[in-house]
Order: sequence, then structure tokens, then C-alpha cells
Amino acid sequence: MSVQAASLPVTASPRKRRFRLRPSRIVLNVVLAAVAIFWLVPAIGIAIISLRPNASFEQSGWWTVLTAPAQLTFNNYQQLFSAGFKPGGVLDSLTTSIAITVPVTILVTVISSLTAYSLVFGRWRGRTLVFLLIVAMLVLPLQMALIPIASLYKVFDTSTGLHLFGSLIGAIIFHVAFGLPFGIFLMRNFYSGIPHDLLEAGRIDGAGEWTLFRKVVMPIGIPALASLAIFQFIWVWNDLLVALIFLGNSSHITLTMYLYSWTRALSSNYWIISTGAMISIIIPLIVFFAFQRYFVRGVLAGAVK
Amino acid sequence: MAGVVLEDLTKRYDGGALAVNKLNLDIRDGEFVCLVGPSGCGKTTALRMIAGLEEITSGEVRIGDRVVNNLPPRDRDIAMVFQSYALYPHMSVRDNMAFGLELRKTPKAQIDKAVVDAARILDLERFLDRKPGQLSGGQRQRVALGRAIVREPAVFLMDEPLSNLDAKLRVQTRAEIARMHTRLEATMIYVTHDQVEAMTMGDRIAVINEGVLQQAGTPKDLYELPQNRFVAGFIGSPSMNFIDLKVSQDGGVVRLTGEGAEMRPDDTESALLRDLGLDSVTVGFRPEHLDLATLSGPGLSVTVVVDVVEFLGNDELIHGSSEGRDVVAIINADNTLKVGQSVTLAAPSRRLHLFNPATGLRVAEDGASTTGGVANRVTTG
Amino acid sequence: MAVAVPTSESLPTVPAEILPTTSKPAGGGGFRSHLGSLLFLLPGAVWLLLIVVYPLIATIVRSLFDGSGQNFIGLGNYKSIFSTTDIIVSLKNNVVWVILFPFLVTFFGLVFAVLTERIRWSTAFKTIVFMPLVFSATAAGLTWASIFFIDPHTGMVNASIQGVSNAVNPPGLYPIDPSSGQTVSSLVATGTQTGPGGTLESTTTVSPGNTVQLGMIGISPVTLQQDGAAPAVAPTASSGISGLVWRDFSPTHPTVRGQIFPDEDGIPGLHLSLINSSGASVATTTTAKNGAFTFANPGSGNYRVQVTANNFQAGFNGIFFLGTQSLTPTSSLSPTLQAILSIPIVDIAMIIAYLWIWAGFAMVVIGAGLAALNREVLEAAQIDGASEWQTLRRVTVPMLLPVLVVVFVTMLINVLKIFDIILNMAAPSSQAGASTLAVAIYNNFALPGGQGLAAALAVVLFILVIPAMLLNLKRIRG
Repeated sequence: MSVQAASLPVTASPRKRRFRLRPSRIVLNVVLAAVAIFWLVPAIGIAIISLRPNASFEQSGWWTVLTAPAQLTFNNYQQLFSAGFKPGGVLDSLTTSIAITVPVTILVTVISSLTAYSLVFGRWRGRTLVFLLIVAMLVLPLQMALIPIASLYKVFDTSTGLHLFGSLIGAIIFHVAFGLPFGIFLMRNFYSGIPHDLLEAGRIDGAGEWTLFRKVVMPIGIPALASLAIFQFIWVWNDLLVALIFLGNSSHITLTMYLYSWTRALSSNYWIISTGAMISIIIPLIVFFAFQRYFVRGVLAGAVK
Repeated sequence: MAGVVLEDLTKRYDGGALAVNKLNLDIRDGEFVCLVGPSGCGKTTALRMIAGLEEITSGEVRIGDRVVNNLPPRDRDIAMVFQSYALYPHMSVRDNMAFGLELRKTPKAQIDKAVVDAARILDLERFLDRKPGQLSGGQRQRVALGRAIVREPAVFLMDEPLSNLDAKLRVQTRAEIARMHTRLEATMIYVTHDQVEAMTMGDRIAVINEGVLQQAGTPKDLYELPQNRFVAGFIGSPSMNFIDLKVSQDGGVVRLTGEGAEMRPDDTESALLRDLGLDSVTVGFRPEHLDLATLSGPGLSVTVVVDVVEFLGNDELIHGSSEGRDVVAIINADNTLKVGQSVTLAAPSRRLHLFNPATGLRVAEDGASTTGGVANRVTTG
Repeated sequence: MAVAVPTSESLPTVPAEILPTTSKPAGGGGFRSHLGSLLFLLPGAVWLLLIVVYPLIATIVRSLFDGSGQNFIGLGNYKSIFSTTDIIVSLKNNVVWVILFPFLVTFFGLVFAVLTERIRWSTAFKTIVFMPLVFSATAAGLTWASIFFIDPHTGMVNASIQGVSNAVNPPGLYPIDPSSGQTVSSLVATGTQTGPGGTLESTTTVSPGNTVQLGMIGISPVTLQQDGAAPAVAPTASSGISGLVWRDFSPTHPTVRGQIFPDEDGIPGLHLSLINSSGASVATTTTAKNGAFTFANPGSGNYRVQVTANNFQAGFNGIFFLGTQSLTPTSSLSPTLQAILSIPIVDIAMIIAYLWIWAGFAMVVIGAGLAALNREVLEAAQIDGASEWQTLRRVTVPMLLPVLVVVFVTMLINVLKIFDIILNMAAPSSQAGASTLAVAIYNNFALPGGQGLAAALAVVLFILVIPAMLLNLKRIRG
């Protein structure tokens, strides 16, 4: 549908728009272009800083590189990578982040699906109450659990000789717990749209609950699972607080902890900080661009984290 | 109040598709005109172009004496009632109706009076302080009507306002709109896909198909003198039957046969067929004009095998087939026909409509097929 | 394909093919399905009970005990929360965040959502603005810290301000830094005195044919070298008024003033003004590399030579955005009142950075709400006579209110827990002044004996979040 230029903004679906070139439209495009540039500048800045020789940070702003592009170099990256995988280095932190984020994502998606299935298709009393409790937990700050869990881990460690506090596993367990409410919420809402008749037909055919879950419900739920997985991945990847608490004295730290530790040092290490920041951003950025639609859907679905 | 003139109104979309193709229509001041046609025929697009919600590709829309092509909707002095009511959900009924006048900075006393008057006409007084969410569908549609009335526009535009209502409400609201029209003596342009609605409500009807005006005229004109096959089949429920007959000349006598039917044309028809040299003709005849009696004069008779008999009370609706062709007839229920029975049905000449099979146009009495299709300011009746 | 929610970027939805015509709750199945689905509940239930529910209670209990965890002190921790200045500062910062951020982010989200409807490249714009959500608050904090760096050479914001400031108020060759308390009088030496309006003047008056010497100290020799200063030479008389401005300090004779030593340089590039007896300037000139100057043809009379104020104009040295300088005038208040009423400038900087991250979220959510609006209602408003602005204000935004509330509340909760960005953006010296509740919890947790207080702070945070919890429950129930 084409609307006369003087009239309302109307979105695309299902009618098309036509744009007349009027002064107000030009101004709008210019203003929004300026906003877009403003929004890109910080990211571009940090990228360029990471590509400049480290001494130049003190002397001149990164924007001067526009006049002297030849100075750009991958030196900083080479330097950080040359440290290899020694604990506390950027590569080791990268693997640590992966080692925490991936298991958490898998566990949250699987357990959320199972729990949501039970909430939607189960036939036991109290499902609504449990769901309301889950909704209540959505906004529960994880600060409420830090102290007791830290103590619990320490007690567990001393009594069993195992190593939970300060280990990746301890962090993983904690992250899963606080990812579950949102995951269950999302999957439950999605599963509610699946008709019960579908499962009835399966039950009459003799399928057990596990088969129904595996063969019917989960495959249908893949779009929602994708959204959840991506959302959860980025959430845990970017976390700092839980990592600080549970890995504070550990030799293996996450990328966010790595960056934070250099921030506290003097600013003359900004070449490390910027390069590390770029490395920490790359993977979420790839995930974002590859699965944008799913990420957006996840964000829309929750809007509570 | 004002009349609306559409001149060669055309809408072309970016892909090249023509939604409305050179629509010409002259709507007189105070007239109730229905734009009717199947889904996607362009009637709503045409209405929206009149309203200013769609850009006009070419042609003109004149409201009163003004060409309104480049005017935004609010300067066209129109009011519109939408299929989905389009009420402001966060405003009370009162505020919904008052909104347009408020925007025009009408004095409050005047607004109040107008709103209360409209509410009285539409029996909405009890709901003035409720929000649309608290009303039923029929009540909401009345609020939409009230919103339009209050504006006292030159033209009322209505886009399938009854489609979202259940059957009973539809009949009620139809009457309300008709009453509104009489009372306000307003120019109304009403879009619907339901030809029964169009026939019952319109002073005149414009039948549109695939963006092209098929015929515009009074309900009677469209019923008795459809100008092309589309209009003939569209107007009337159940729809007109069509049979293709071959023309043969036997001595000086013209006869038409085919598909289990046989037609003896009268003198005028014979002359026409001879002059035009057509060797086949599509004959249309309405179910209600078929009889079990044998023909006494010129006319059509067709032998059918009865498939389905539907009892309607006073009449029976018969579905039969004649050499593969379906025929529908309405005959008096006393005849008690049975399934499988073979009967001969007949319709007299004056109830027959002849169409050129190639063009679909009516074979008319002025010696040539009418230039139907894009009728230039057809204002019959 | 979409079922209930008509937006394009809406919740993941079930494909239409498998949708039913009815969806009555299932019956039958019997005991086995009961057991099966209950079993499915087990992992999630156990996990949540252990790591979420139990600690919730445990923290509340812990907050009633002292640092060691052995002694019950009731509300003692809570009392210290409201009497410890550091924690009051944290709470104050939370208030600042809560007042400013949710409103601003919703506002910008709305503006962007509405504006992007009318451009062709809305998807690209939305992607650009949405992308920072992918950054960790840590990385974003670092990035914006560099943008707000105080040094105008490297910090973008200060560099921009400097650019403007230098264009409007170009710095002089010999700037004085007023923030260090320095004034022109510190430059006075033999032959000079302070003049009106931040200038220096010759102590004596002089008439044509005479010379005058103006000595200055407090000028860095490095600066003089950079400006190409040459050794000072005693001035020779001319028909006009000539003289010398030199650095009246000799490293070899540090206590002697007024004498021109060979190792004393003239002061080049100084803008001088000849002031007549009525105080008006009749001529200007600039000193040469060796500090010599001449006013060629002044009329007869007595004059003073003035070193104009623009020579000492300070350049822009950068604003410490990442510091805790208060935007409100609280310096004269008591420490507690200062803690409560000051608004650290770093809060504003961090809020800007956080807006950069989250405006995209608000924009996308509000955009989805906008797309779901019934187009015909907006068209009805057009027909009723509303201009675009009127439609926006009186129809579109009121209809969007539920979505706006969701965004606002979500951001409110988010901001109550704000943590990462404080640690990574506020300067190390500002950490105490920029701290928030979540930061205070972390700091106290790390302190030996701080667990009781940390637990109490966590409970406070929890209480603050409860209204949002109830709102969510109400929304789901209804």
C-alpha cells in the first residue's frame, strides 16, 4: 500500500510503501544515518585500537588512523596469541569461556525442554502453581544465591575432597540454575501452542512419554530451542559476576574476568584490553549475525532477564 | 453533502499489477452506491483511493467540485467505517466519537451535542463511558458508525462493515445503515462482496471484477438486464444458469440446441442472431424463472435428471444435470420431485439472456454487443 | 504461518500444519504418563530447589547473623546498611540509575521504533543499533571508558570538546592552568606587575624614544625551546617604544633578578598591547624570538606595555568524565548528605554507555508492538483529521502503553542489578563513588567477615525486585 507522503508511517506487512523524496524525509534519513554512525563508532574504535601499535594509544586518538592507515597491524593479536594457552592468558580464557558456556547452554536447553514438557503435557496437579513459581523466579537476582552456594561448595569440597568451588563445574552448575527459569518459561509458552491431540494420537498408538518427547515435541520445538540456546549462550559468555565469585582465585579464568583484570591495571595496557575485547566479541558476534532472527525472538519472548 | 466522481481511476502496483483499471463512476449527492465484486476485485482499493489511504496512479477523484487526488484524508471531508471497526481501544465510546471534532477544535458544547445525538440515533447512550473492549461486535460497529455520523462529512465510505458480524446482527445493522442513509440524506459509498447486501441496500450498484467496472445501475437493472456474463452470474442468488447452444438455421428459422436443451428464439432474437452471424451462444436463465410447464411460445426448454432436492417450504430447490451441465431451478414445492427423475424445465423468451460466448457480452437489441466491460459513466436507471 | 502473535519477529510459533481445530486438554493415558511426565520434572525441579530456592531462604537467614555467621544480630546488618556511607553511596547510585535509565532507554527505543518505520533501510539500522547487546557489559564498559578518557589526545569526547574549545578560545603559548590555582601573578618578575583582566603590565610608563624591560618567571624553559626562543638582549632605543620581554631567571644566578644574563632567553611570540594613559590600547605587536619588540609610531605620551591575557589562555585539558565529580552542588554539605545528594558525573557516562547497549532491545520490542497495531485504527485517526504528530501522541503511543511498560519494567530490573559496567568503566579512583548495590554485595562478599552484610544487601536487592515479580505474575495470570 502506498501512502501519500504527508500521512502516517505504516509498516510493510502486508502492504508495500512508497517513499516520496520530501525535505522531511531527507532530514530523517540524515538524522538516522548520523545515529547509525554514532552507534558504530565505539565498536569501530575498539577494533582499530586493537590494530594499532600499542605505544600509539597514549599519543593519539584512534581516529587519526584515517590519515595514516598504514600503521594498522595484527601485532597485538600475535603478541597475545604467542603466549599460547598458559593459564591466565587470552587463549586459555577463551577456552575456559567456551568450556563453561557450551555445557551450560546444552544443559539449560535440555532440562528446560523436559521441564516444560512436564508442565504442559503432564497430568499432575499443581502445574499452574509450579509455573507461577517459575515466573516468580524469572526476576530473582542471582546475588541471592551467591553466598549460600559458595558456602555449600566449600563444605562439599572439604567433606568429599572434590573441587567445586573455584572450578568450572561449580560455575556451570550455578549458571544452569539461573538459566532454567527463563528457559522453562520460553519452552513452556512454545509447547502450549502444540495441540494435545497430537500426543493423544501417539499415546493411543502406544508411545511412552519419552518417545513422545523425543520424537514429537522436541522436533517441533526446535525454533524455540534455537532461540533459547543462542540467548543463553550469549548471556553466559558475557557474564562477569558469577565468574568472579566462583573462579576468583582459579588459574583458569573467563574472558570477561581476563578483561576486567587488565582494566584494573593501568591504562597503558589498553592494547591488551582492546585486543582481548575484540577476541571476546568475535564469537557472540558471529552467533548473532548467523542466527539473528532467533536471537531477536528469544529477546522478545523473555524481555525479563 | 456532495457527489463523488471517479474518472479513469487507476491503481497500478510496483510489480505492474493493475488493481483498479480506469474506473469511471458518477455518484450523485445523497446516493447510496455499492461497490460489489469478488475478493480481490479492487473495490476496496478503489474505496481507499477515494479516502486518500492509497495513492492514485492515474485518474481523478472529485468530491463535490474539488479534485482531491493530492489532498490528505483529513482534508477530503469524508468519514470511513472499517471492517474491523478500528475504534481507539484506549478511549471511551464518547471520546472515540468526539475525537475527530476535537482535532478540528470544535467547541466542547457542540461536540457534546453531536456525540449525544449520534448516540441516541444508534442506541449507544448507555455505553458512552465504556471502552470498546467492553462492547460486543455489533455495539462496536455502531460506535464506528457513530464516529462517522458525528463528523457530518460530505461522503460516508464503508468497507465491508458487516463482514465481522454474525448473521442476525448483520441483518439488524444493515437496516440501521439504511435508516441512517434515509435520515441523513448522505452520500454513501459501500463496499461489499455480498451481492445480497448490495442489492438490498444500494440505490445503485457498481459491479467490479479484476479492477474493471462490469456494470453500474439500479438493482433492478442489474437483475433484469445484466450487460455481461459476469454480472449475470454474480447478481442473484442462487446464481443464473448458463448453457452453451449451437445456432442452426433451418430454412429461415433459427434454432439453438445443445447440452440437452433446446431454444426457440423469438423474432427479435432470431434477427439478432442472423445478423451477427454467431454460430454459438451462451444462454443464461435464472433458477426462479424455470417452470415445469411446457413452453407455449418462444423460450428455452431443458431436460434434466434430478440430483438433489432441497425443501425450502413454499418452494423446492432442484439441482439437476443435463448432459454434464448443472442446472439449478426453484419450483413450487407441490411438485414433489424425486431424485433420479427426469424432468423438462422451461423458461420463456423474456426471461432469457443471450451472451456472446467469446466476449461474454450481452447480445443486445441495438444490433451490436454492448461495449460492456469498461463502461463510460454508465448511469443507467 | 504465525499463529497467535501476528508480528514478524515474534515468539517462535508452532507451524500451522500441525495446528488443531480444537485443543481440549487430553484425557486418558493413565498412570504411566503421569509417572513419565513427573520424571521429566525431576532434573529441573531438583536443580532449582537446590541452587535457587534453598539459597533464597538461606541468604535471608544469613542476613540476620553477623560477619562470622555465628551470632544472631537480627536487623543489625540492615541498620549498618543505612548508616555506612559507602553503602549509602551505592544506594544513591542505584537511585540515579533507576530514575534516569529506564525512562531514557524506553524513550529512545520508542523514537527509534517509530522513526525506522519510515526509512527503507530499517533492517540495517535496527541491526546496527541492536548489535551492542551482543557485547558483554565488560567489553562495552572498556570501550566506553576509552571514549571518555580524560586525555584529549586519546579520549574521543574530550578530543571533540577540545576541538571546539580551541576553535572558539584558542589557547595561548603560555597557558596558565586555573584549576591548579595558578594565576598570572605567579609570572611577575622585575619590570612587570599584574594588570587588569589577567594581563601583565610594565611597572613603569614609557614614552616614545625610550625602552622598557619586562621580566617574567614561571615559564618553562622547555616551552621556550619549543617556541624557538633566543637569548635575551638588552633593547636599543628607537623612535618608537622598544623593549624586551625575557625570562628573568638564570640557572647560574638563580637569586638575581632584573639583570639580563647570557643564559636567560627572551620570550617569543607574546602578544603585546600599548596602553595609553586613559587605558586604551593604541597598538599591538608580538615579541621576536629573542623577546624584543617595537611599537613603531605611537603618538607622544606615556604608555604602559601590556602582555595581553590571551597569552595565558588555558587550553582545554579534558574533563574527568570517569570520575565522581558531582553534578549537583554538594561540596558544602555534610558527608552523609553529600553521599545522598551528589550525582557523580561517571554515572552519566555509564548511563550513556548502557543506553548504547540496550536502546536496541527497547527499539526491537517496541517495534514489534508497533507492527502488531491494527493499521486501520491509525487510518481512522488520519481520516478523523489527526496529523502525524497527533496520531502518534494520542493514538499510537497510548495503544503501545502495555509494551512500553514491559520494556520499562524489564530495564528497571536490569538496572537494579547493574554491576559489570561499573567495574569496567569507572576509573579505579571512582570505584567507591560509583558503586551500586550489586557492586557492594560483591565487595562485601569478598571481604572476610562481610558475608552477613553482603547477605543483607542481597535481601535488599531482592525486596526491590519484588514489585516487578508481582507485576509479572499478574500479567501471566490475567
